Amino acid sequence: MKWLLDFLKGKWLKHPLHPILVHVPMAMWPSALIFDLLSRWNGNAMVRLSFYAIAFGLIASLLAVPTGVVDWSGIKKEKPAWKIGLYHMILNLVVALLFAVNLGLRVHTYREETIVVGAPLALSIIGTALLIGSAYLGGLMVYDYGISVARMSKKKWRKIAEAGGANLPQK
Amino acid sequence: MLKDFLEGKPFRHPLHPMLVHFPIGLFILSLLLDLGSFAFRSTPNLVRDAFYAMLLGIIAALIAAVPGFVDYTDIRSDHPGKRTATAHLTLNLIVVGLYGINLGVRSSTLDAFKTPVGPLILSLVGIALLSVSGYLGGRLVYDDGIGVGRHKRRTSTPENTLHLTRGGNGEAVFVPVPEAESLRDRETLRVEIDGQVIAIAKLDGNFYAFQEFCTHRFGPLSEGDFEGFNVQCPWHNSCFDVRTGKVTNGPAKVDLKTFKVETHDGKICIGAPRATEKSS
Repeated sequence: MKWLLDFLKGKWLKHPLHPILVHVPMAMWPSALIFDLLSRWNGNAMVRLSFYAIAFGLIASLLAVPTGVVDWSGIKKEKPAWKIGLYHMILNLVVALLFAVNLGLRVHTYREETIVVGAPLALSIIGTALLIGSAYLGGLMVYDYGISVARMSKKKWRKIAEAGGANLPQK
Repeated sequence: MLKDFLEGKPFRHPLHPMLVHFPIGLFILSLLLDLGSFAFRSTPNLVRDAFYAMLLGIIAALIAAVPGFVDYTDIRSDHPGKRTATAHLTLNLIVVGLYGINLGVRSSTLDAFKTPVGPLILSLVGIALLSVSGYLGGRLVYDDGIGVGRHKRRTSTPENTLHLTRGGNGEAVFVPVPEAESLRDRETLRVEIDGQVIAIAKLDGNFYAFQEFCTHRFGPLSEGDFEGFNVQCPWHNSCFDVRTGKVTNGPAKVDLKTFKVETHDGKICIGAPRATEKSS
């Protein structure tokens, strides 16, 4: 099991996996909304592109889930980042479900449809809004609370600090 | 003000890592559509779709480049991550250049049933380089803490490290730091005196000197923020009293080394530590 956890944490890559994988849904779903809006002028090409973007985002988001859960489980429960992580996770589940439904609504029509309106468009708008909120929370965990920061480079920095004459904690 | 905005200070989150999702995702989508045009011959217009995804990707990349460049100039010139950042920046410029060419080449074949070999190869090379570059960008954050906690800092950070020496006698002496004179409140210097790396801060008109490295994961305290006499590490928010070096808030558990600051002949001087035997 440890090898699997280490794999999901990205130790083999020296880089956490979750923030890499999330680029895809994070880019695809807001882009799908943009394509939806552009369908007004560019017709079926944009309807199709939006469909592909939602589908690709869903596949990548499924891959991102286990890596995110592993990263989150490494945070101590009493830290503020734990709660942020929980909200981030719940919001992401909602967003993924919304886009799954969204995809289902389009699957039979995207080849011919020339404009995205109604429920699919509404789902894209709501999904994107929630996604931006959720992704912001994920970013806050890294840039405000330092989750995963200097986790894999700890030894390197310890050496630099040691050479710089710093007081150090026991190994 | 514009610099603060581009660094994402109003959002408590740097802008560049938010924006880069879009070029990365869209360029990958474009390649997938190219590959799809070979796999699904009966699906029309995939070549055109790939073109649009790429066009949006280039626009998004150009937007992301602006805060990225500001972030780059903000990295201390002798920071171990600076070279990684230079490679990241250079690779990204190459990638955008390649996609610009790619877009031009394929614009005349939008009605083709499958993507021509030339643009396809350009896309493959583009994604390969982008993967390396994106990886380096991630290493900058997760290894070197670039952009982490920077929004908490209210003043600019040191541009480089000042290298000073005690002279040859090896005794504990006071080393003048003339650059400290021009510090404003809550600004810092990063100083190295015979190997010892020290952060000097001006707080409420007085100077305080303490070890540069946080005792938790060794984050840069010369880039930390100050509240009263506390310095807060930008990485994981450990706090220390700069007068005593004591931990006032975790996760750090070990106190900082502090150094005396005295005025000798009207010059601000740091009490450089006695030379210790260099351990190899």
